[in-house]
Amino acid sequence: MVGNDIVDIEEAIQASNWQRPRFLNKLFTVQEQLCVHNSTNQFLMVWRLWSMKEAAYKLFTQLHPSRFYKPKQFECKIDNLKGIVIFQDFKCYVDTKITSKYIISEARLVEPKMTSDILKFQNENTDGKSKVLKTELLKSVAKRYQTQSEILKVVKNKFGVPTVRFGLKEINVSLTHHGNYGAYAIF
Amino acid sequence: MTNHELIAKLKAIVAPYVQDEVAFSSLSEDTDFVKDLKINSANLVDIILDIEDEFDIRLENEDMEEMLDVKSAMEIVNTKLEA
Repeated sequence: MVGNDIVDIEEAIQASNWQRPRFLNKLFTVQEQLCVHNSTNQFLMVWRLWSMKEAAYKLFTQLHPSRFYKPKQFECKIDNLKGIVIFQDFKCYVDTKITSKYIISEARLVEPKMTSDILKFQNENTDGKSKVLKTELLKSVAKRYQTQSEILKVVKNKFGVPTVRFGLKEINVSLTHHGNYGAYAIF
Repeated sequence: MTNHELIAKLKAIVAPYVQDEVAFSSLSEDTDFVKDLKINSANLVDIILDIEDEFDIRLENEDMEEMLDVKSAMEIVNTKLEA
């Protein structure tokens, strides 16, 4: 199983304001807020922690099909670029990569190396971005399984958790997009 | 406040974050913020903070857990306003 999450840095600047009152306290534990306050780049730390929580949530909901919004309860611990996220008795490892354009996190039950493939969208609308991302995902799955992408299908369960259906096989994947960037990971 | 008035207020709150205008134009109690309106999960917290500001209420962590659709948002606001 794998969960990933991408944050488009330009989009995070434009569409969110992490400095608005009560924002940090809604999403982050006291420890995480301290981590933000002590950071030399608070903006990057906020969105890095957010992407870790989201990636971990996506992994959790693959293992335990469900849907909820409890970001504060996914507690992040960071040691350099390696991270751990704990939610109740669930624990996962999260690898994060930060560039000047985006932040991407990938969560797995064993220590991960970043495998997510990143896409930059052109001028598609939200629906178009989603289609482009799925098409690229299917191409990649087809290559790995040495088959044709036409016989593969992205299926989402009632909780919105995606898998790729290949005959009777279901392959665990994770999809993410934010602003002009998207990414997919295949388990 | 009637349900009709409450939906109108919620509609105004979510408007800046909506990425599916067709679903937004037919917003109802059954509309899901993420699945239907394609609101990015990073903006759910903004909706919660906007709701707090608009209705002068405060939502606890457990109130936020179900805040993924219009119906849940209405229930939480109504509960808070009655309290």
